[in-house]
Amino acid sequence: MLQLRQVRYTYPGWPPVVDGVDWAMAPGEIDCLVGRSGCGKTTLLKLAAGLMHPEAGMVLLAQQPVMAPHPDMGFVFQSSNLLAWLSVLDNVLLPITLHRAAQPEDIAHAHDLLARMGLSALAQQRPPQLSGGQQSRVAIARALVTRPPLLLMDEPFAALDAITREELQNDLLAVCQAQGSSVLFVTHDMAEAVYLADRVTVMSRGKLQGEVQVDLPRPRPTDLRYTPRFNALCAELRAMMDEVR
Amino acid sequence: MQRSGWLSLVLGLLILVAWELAATGLKLSTLVLPPPSLVMAALRQGFASGYLGPHVLQTLLEVVLGFGLGSLLGFLGGVALGEWPGARRVLMPYLVVSQVVPKLALAPLLIVWLGFGATPTVVITALICFFPLLENTLTAMQHVDPQRLELFRMLRASRWQTIWRLKVPDGKPAILAGLRVAVVLAWVGAVVGEFIGASRGLGALIIAAQGSMDTPLMFAVLVVITVLGWASYQAMVVLERSLLK
Repeated sequence: MLQLRQVRYTYPGWPPVVDGVDWAMAPGEIDCLVGRSGCGKTTLLKLAAGLMHPEAGMVLLAQQPVMAPHPDMGFVFQSSNLLAWLSVLDNVLLPITLHRAAQPEDIAHAHDLLARMGLSALAQQRPPQLSGGQQSRVAIARALVTRPPLLLMDEPFAALDAITREELQNDLLAVCQAQGSSVLFVTHDMAEAVYLADRVTVMSRGKLQGEVQVDLPRPRPTDLRYTPRFNALCAELRAMMDEVR
Repeated sequence: MQRSGWLSLVLGLLILVAWELAATGLKLSTLVLPPPSLVMAALRQGFASGYLGPHVLQTLLEVVLGFGLGSLLGFLGGVALGEWPGARRVLMPYLVVSQVVPKLALAPLLIVWLGFGATPTVVITALICFFPLLENTLTAMQHVDPQRLELFRMLRASRWQTIWRLKVPDGKPAILAGLRVAVVLAWVGAVVGEFIGASRGLGALIIAAQGSMDTPLMFAVLVVITVLGWASYQAMVVLERSLLK
């Protein structure tokens, strides 16, 4: 699916923010990338998305070099980034309507995604009328409307309260499982990473410093967060982050 | 009407009453300050005799043409300069200089080039309306949220799509504010243009009334210009509300 080979990126006047990163993701896998602020994880995600170009190394999607954003990738930004002048439905359909007229099946799929997110009644509302959590759900639906095999997510739930965040994590897992999408999810929340991921990788000073395989069963119920195994994985991750500080 | 609206109306009526009392009580010459009653009589007679109508239509036509032309060119110029920074750096000094030159000083030149009649007045009006639209559109183009631009890049939108589906809708409040300013200035442009080189129109009528020392008619024409200017501003406010819904 996604491969990064010796990817390196430097902002002028600074040490490399991404420094020789190797990464490979399998289809259907959910990977989380954790690290402290400024460790380079958002830059790495943008390099993977083709929004930025590595100064060395290469990014491959299905064995093809990624030189620019690819239709097989969806991206969810830190802010929901919805267009206030469009309805919720039109926001979800934007990735399609930028390239062609939406067909009845596209509209049906958009409605289906909104229904999965519990937003059916809000399809004709404008984004400013929605809560922060609802806006994040719309952003996820927009990223998934083209059924991309790979979804890249940059701390999309960071600004939400804890309960809304947990609800959104469950929604994300359900929708991605239904569509079979792979996810590369950047977060600084270790519990979120363990709950979502098959594999959590720790990044520090531009390098991948280690990883934790999450062997928790799927589907994952909410009360999984209170099990000893979940806490042990969080502790292991925390110890790894302290180690690479 | 809101309380502040009623207060505003009462204030206007009080000023008119005070003006009427001062003009009649102090026995001021109607050449200097005609009372409102005399102005209204001149206005009534002007419309009843059919004398004012063609002048109003002439100025209205020049305002509509000048405002339309100037606003369209200002908008397109703002979009173009917002998109091409190189062109902006080369052209902006000349555009600013073109606005610094007083339009009244340009009028005789325009008459030499374009002849008497409506054309130089339309050109002056367009020149005046051009700049607010150019500046506001340019500002709007330059201040689009970078994350939204990144979203459009991720969705592989073309430059054209980014302009018309992101930058222009996002900049609508600023662009419409420019239109509101321009429509008021359009009346200034048209009337000033008619002062110099026109035989028809409200500006020409003011000059004619001054020549025949018909001060009530001058005031009557000022009332017409004020009412029409106010109405066009309100039309822009209504347009703005409907477009920003």
